[in-house]
Amino acid sequence: MSTLRERSPRAYALALPAALWMIGALVLPTVFIGWVSLWTTRTFSVGNPLGFANYAKFFQRPAYVKVLTDTVEQTVLLMVITAILGYAIAYFLAVKVERPTVQLAFFLVLVIPFWTSALIRTIAWIPFLGVTGVINKVLIALRVVDQPVEAFLFSRTGITLAQVSFYTLLAAGPVVYTLRNIPPSLREAAYTLRAAPLAVFRRIVLPLTLPGIVIGQILVFLNVMADFATAQAIGGHKLAYLGNLVILLYDTGQLPFASVIAVLLMAAMLAGVAVLLKVVDIRRLGIS
Amino acid sequence: MANAAEHDVELRGVTKRFGSFVAVRDMSLIVEKGQFVCLLGPSGCGKTTTLRLVAGLEQADGGEIRIAGARVDDTPPWRRDVAMMFQDFALFPHMTVARQVGFGLEMLRRPKEEIRRRVAETLAAFEIGDLADRKPDTLSGGQKQRVALARALITRPRVLLLDEPIGSLDFSLREAVMLELKDVQRRAGISFVWVTHDQNEAFSLGDQVVVMNHARIEQTGTPEEIFERPRTRFVATFIQGHNVLDGTAASAEDGHVTVVTAVGRFVVPVRNGAAPASGAPVSFSIRAELLEDDPGLDHPNRLAATCHAIEYLGSVRRWDLRLADGRSVKLERSGRTRCRLAEGEAVLIGWRVEDGVLHIPAADAA
Repeated sequence: MSTLRERSPRAYALALPAALWMIGALVLPTVFIGWVSLWTTRTFSVGNPLGFANYAKFFQRPAYVKVLTDTVEQTVLLMVITAILGYAIAYFLAVKVERPTVQLAFFLVLVIPFWTSALIRTIAWIPFLGVTGVINKVLIALRVVDQPVEAFLFSRTGITLAQVSFYTLLAAGPVVYTLRNIPPSLREAAYTLRAAPLAVFRRIVLPLTLPGIVIGQILVFLNVMADFATAQAIGGHKLAYLGNLVILLYDTGQLPFASVIAVLLMAAMLAGVAVLLKVVDIRRLGIS
Repeated sequence: MANAAEHDVELRGVTKRFGSFVAVRDMSLIVEKGQFVCLLGPSGCGKTTTLRLVAGLEQADGGEIRIAGARVDDTPPWRRDVAMMFQDFALFPHMTVARQVGFGLEMLRRPKEEIRRRVAETLAAFEIGDLADRKPDTLSGGQKQRVALARALITRPRVLLLDEPIGSLDFSLREAVMLELKDVQRRAGISFVWVTHDQNEAFSLGDQVVVMNHARIEQTGTPEEIFERPRTRFVATFIQGHNVLDGTAASAEDGHVTVVTAVGRFVVPVRNGAAPASGAPVSFSIRAELLEDDPGLDHPNRLAATCHAIEYLGSVRRWDLRLADGRSVKLERSGRTRCRLAEGEAVLIGWRVEDGVLHIPAADAA
């Protein structure tokens, strides 16, 4: 095996193609969006001064600020639901199901729906949620309600239901991994040290799976923050999150303003990831 | 016979199955107060399962288990007055040594001040005070072992269960750690149940050694009893330093039985129980250091052999002899013994009648 020293010219040469790709596909467009957001007119001209007027305008409009807070609120709600539900699924899969074949079967049941495109999965919810949809028919048949519930489709409830179904596995996956990494003897040692099951969970299992929870939550956070398709398909056009606002403004040709929101969305996402990484150092995952 | 309440652990007819596999079959065992008991046997013999049954980590399918006289069959592990040391030490990777050692007291909801004091005392007693703020992944094997022991003993349990506790340590460390653990056990005055497959560990540590095979106890006794009078053929073959010959019983008289083997007829004493029926398959064993290489003519047990190889093990020199049927027999002497017998040389060997130990297969199944 030939050795490649760090920071040697050859190392840089090998990193070059990837670096060029990253710069062209990621860094430049991002810088470009930031630049456009500072335009003070709708269209660009060289003499046009740059400024923060668009940002000021965003925060002066309560309707826009509300979209921002709605987005954050929806994301936090999804994080709470998927964290609990995802952990329960992960615990069931990794700890309670002992036979590998059964484990695989459950895993496939959970994963196969994700082999279809996101669009199809989103649209597939509509026949379930509508006034004459599956859920309402079942509820009426069971006499839980006598009028179809309208709140499922074109509502936040519907969006939340669909998003929970899309993103719970993102929260569960890393937890499965961290749970499997806990040797059974740790739980048993805790039992013999007078820890009842709840204490074992709180003091041993939960802290050791925290990195998995955080990674899952980062994935959920980023996906929900950026999710515009679910709100569009299932929320009708009654509800909008930041992602929807970007599209709306882009479609109506308000490029600088669309860029402002894109930048704010990006800033919120970076801030969120920074906060989550404060909770636990994910680089240590798998070392212990 | 001590009062039952004075036994730290008692198993009566305990059986444990995993599916169709019987891991422990009808096992009865008493660990007296403050006793050091070693469960010795090959892997898969049920010794670790026995330990886990006592800890409550496995549920028995039959029989009863008592700790300090009280039945614990329905008591979960966290309410049993036992502690356990695992082969991999099972240290909690996210806790500092001090937190780790105090965990048991924390679970018993002792006051913070008491926990702090007792952790400090315990760390000092095990000479790991300077490790208090370290995490397990920064500790050496020997240090981990001490932390695990301190963690297990801080609640002053009635019994400490140890599953091959020095198996993962370097050989150079084992001897010292063994002596230290024995010392800890004596001073703490609690009973130890120590699982091992290593005869040296079991013999040098155990007040009682329990030899297990195929889910059963083969023999329980002091190391001397087991070494000098292996009860079954399995014990004689598992414990090193014995030669085993198989044959059939012929005439029995005057407390002796004549055993017919492929390499001759030998007289073996019948010690306890009835003599085997004529024609019954039996075995007998002779310790390697009791074989004589120049038997007097008055020895009724003599046979011819050739010297195949000589092993020099320092304190012991071992001659690997081959009998007429190709079977190997070992003869041992102090390492200082001058090696008179050369490789390839023919020799007449024999042993005193009273040094033979008879194994009747029926006893194996008892």
